[in-house]
Amino acid sequence: MRVELLLNGRAAALEARTDEMLLEALRREGLLSVRATCGIGVCGACTVLLDGEAVSACLTLAAQAAGREVTTVEGLEESDPVARAFSEAHAFQCGWCTPGFVLTVKALLAEDPDPNDEAIARALGGNLCRCGCYLKIADAVRRCGS
Amino acid sequence: MDPRVSGAVRYAHDIERPGMLHAAFVRSPYPHARVLSVDASAVPSDCVVLGPDDVAGLGHYGCQIKDQRVLADRARHAGDVVAAVAAPTPAAAREGATLVEVAYEELPAVFDPLEALAPGAPLLHEATGASARDAVSIDVRPIAGSNTCHRFRIRHGDVAAGFAGADVVVEEVFRTASAAHAAMEPHATLAEWDEDSLTLWTTTQTPFNTRADLAGLFSMPDEDIRVIAPPMGGSFGAKTFVRLEALAACLARKAERPVKAVLDRAEEFVTLNRHPAVVRVRIGARRDGTLAAKEVDCWVDTGAYADCGPGVATKMGYAGVGPYRIPHVRVDSLAIYTNLPPSGAFRGYGAMQSVWASERTMDLLARELEMSPLELRRMNLLRDGDEFATGEVVRDVHFEECLQAAADAVDYEADPRGKGLCVLLKGMQTPSRAAIAVERTPVGYIVRSASCEMGQGVRRSLQLMGARLLACEPGQVVVPDPDTDTSPFDTRTTSSRSTYMMGRALGEAVRDLHASGGERGFGEIRNEGGLDPDTGQGIASTHWHQGAAAARVAVDEETGRVTVKHIHAATYAGRVVNRPGAELQNEGSMLMGLGTALFEAIDFADGQVTNANLSEYNLPAAGDVPRLTHELIERDGAEVHGLGETALPPVPAAIGNALASLDVHVTELPITAERVLDAIDSRAAGSRSAEGAA
Repeated sequence: MRVELLLNGRAAALEARTDEMLLEALRREGLLSVRATCGIGVCGACTVLLDGEAVSACLTLAAQAAGREVTTVEGLEESDPVARAFSEAHAFQCGWCTPGFVLTVKALLAEDPDPNDEAIARALGGNLCRCGCYLKIADAVRRCGS
Repeated sequence: MDPRVSGAVRYAHDIERPGMLHAAFVRSPYPHARVLSVDASAVPSDCVVLGPDDVAGLGHYGCQIKDQRVLADRARHAGDVVAAVAAPTPAAAREGATLVEVAYEELPAVFDPLEALAPGAPLLHEATGASARDAVSIDVRPIAGSNTCHRFRIRHGDVAAGFAGADVVVEEVFRTASAAHAAMEPHATLAEWDEDSLTLWTTTQTPFNTRADLAGLFSMPDEDIRVIAPPMGGSFGAKTFVRLEALAACLARKAERPVKAVLDRAEEFVTLNRHPAVVRVRIGARRDGTLAAKEVDCWVDTGAYADCGPGVATKMGYAGVGPYRIPHVRVDSLAIYTNLPPSGAFRGYGAMQSVWASERTMDLLARELEMSPLELRRMNLLRDGDEFATGEVVRDVHFEECLQAAADAVDYEADPRGKGLCVLLKGMQTPSRAAIAVERTPVGYIVRSASCEMGQGVRRSLQLMGARLLACEPGQVVVPDPDTDTSPFDTRTTSSRSTYMMGRALGEAVRDLHASGGERGFGEIRNEGGLDPDTGQGIASTHWHQGAAAARVAVDEETGRVTVKHIHAATYAGRVVNRPGAELQNEGSMLMGLGTALFEAIDFADGQVTNANLSEYNLPAAGDVPRLTHELIERDGAEVHGLGETALPPVPAAIGNALASLDVHVTELPITAERVLDAIDSRAAGSRSAEGAA
């Protein structure tokens, strides 16, 4: 099937099977920041923004993106404030989970521009970082908030 | 934008080659079973199947004991690979794998290291003890006709006389669970043959060890195998030695196409885990607190294959002595086969298991002596010039500073209730060798090194050290991916050795470059040493990692819930090269230690993993982070000290000791609510600690 959508700000069409997840379809498009990791929607490494909402691409059918807007970190501008805050706060080690965290934080800040520590921890609950960068990730979020 | 933020990092998982096929594995459902037949007749013809006949001519591999075959003819754990399939898509390969019919004859199995030593226990490997031929091998001491694949011993002084002179003796047995490295990136390998030479792009911390082991397996010259190690999405010890490389290479040879293998999350849990261990500690002291003698017994469950279990048992053995002056020491540490998935290197490499036991026992001893646990440790700590139980003299010693810093961070001396401490020494891979090359380019320098990037920041550290030595900007120093064809030899990227060893080698290389015309330089550092496995005497480590942790906890005695209020770690850094990177190593280690302490455990039922996913196997998440502080202790002019692991092993014992200060004596990790409630019940039964409760 052909899935027409707005992908990283441009009109695009994904070729996908009806039972295929958005994760596979995006990777086939070369969007390799979206990473298969847990396969069950708990780790957040395949997070994308679907109409601005952070969702796990491993649990979202490609067909569900039809007519909607999908954003991955490849679609962020060079000057994106959240991405810049992650760089400045050194909020990553291996970088595998980082794009998912960046997108989750973008969704959080769109709803709550100045979240407190509790709101930050709650919002990050669906993203796992095995390297354990949570202190610096929270710092990055606070940099955006202030 | 940093490529890690922009998503531009390309991991082994992302690499593709023209015409490549994808692999899937057929795994034994039984923990111990003989493979009687493999029937691939139902598999579609566009799949390539690797079966027993394809690997019959190959021998065994293994980094310390050659006990593994490419395909198991006898499955020794549930999940052992007995056949493999390559197909044009991952889905087709998985489908093909389900169509391979394997007939098994089930065999009796054993899942506990102590039961595996009992008379009549099923034997996993009839003949053990063939050491690998390369630098990975240690002097292994298998016990013939048993499941023990290595016995490490320390014999120091006269333990019987030491205990005879002790006024107080305490003894306790501790256990730790199996744990998952759970790197976010799964294992991934792409293998491609060109005539008789093999190229591998693979997730590995050990490119040269992997090359050597494969060269032995395939009877090829080392030079005909090229191992390229792209950056990894975390590893923590999981991506060491031969994992998928032999399977991918055999499939690729049969298919005459490149083959890529990527594990799914459930497969990660049957590939390589942390050693579960049972550790018994007996320690004696004089009434004034002076340590008199210590005995440590470790039963180290290395699972179905030895992997580096002999090395882990060795390090667990000497780390269990602790950073103390003890005149009489006996250690026996056994690496034991069971029918669980193989255990291997895991951040801290055995130290956590024995530090948990040893440092919990120190608090039991303090209680019997009616002394402060801080004071008991302080008066017995190793100091500069002291002799360790291995007979080596320790230098550049900072245990007391680390311990005091940890204690002060939680205001331990003002009120120790609800607080706990732990101090540790951890060795670095010894002997080892690191070499590096520097080449000048029109715009800067290329630094070629086999130190592998897994998120620990070794590439950045080499850039920063290179820029300082070469008087240029870090951005002018290019550090390509490790590649055995172009990177000089390095023992491996383990045991927090790269910044120290490769950093010194880089200094040599830059000196060579300046001395030889400024175009090229080569540097090599060798650290000699090693221990006699029968006596534990020699040089355990040319360079000691030193650290301490403190914890403050609260416990709900109705529910058994433990709340960690604050953890603090102090690690000896010597000199920090990359400050944010160093901080991240402490923070990440402490969080992994927190997971180990409170909730991380692979659960098994009759040898089957029952929580092989990231929903039921809990990793620390943002909401689990307590107040977490740490410090990097530096000294002017000091050597660089590795920091990659030091802050992990002390965290569980600090938390356990904090609970013990509240008279909750837990001996098994993780410290679940059930275990806390059991400890409270046994306190009520008066089985322990009546005299210490005041």
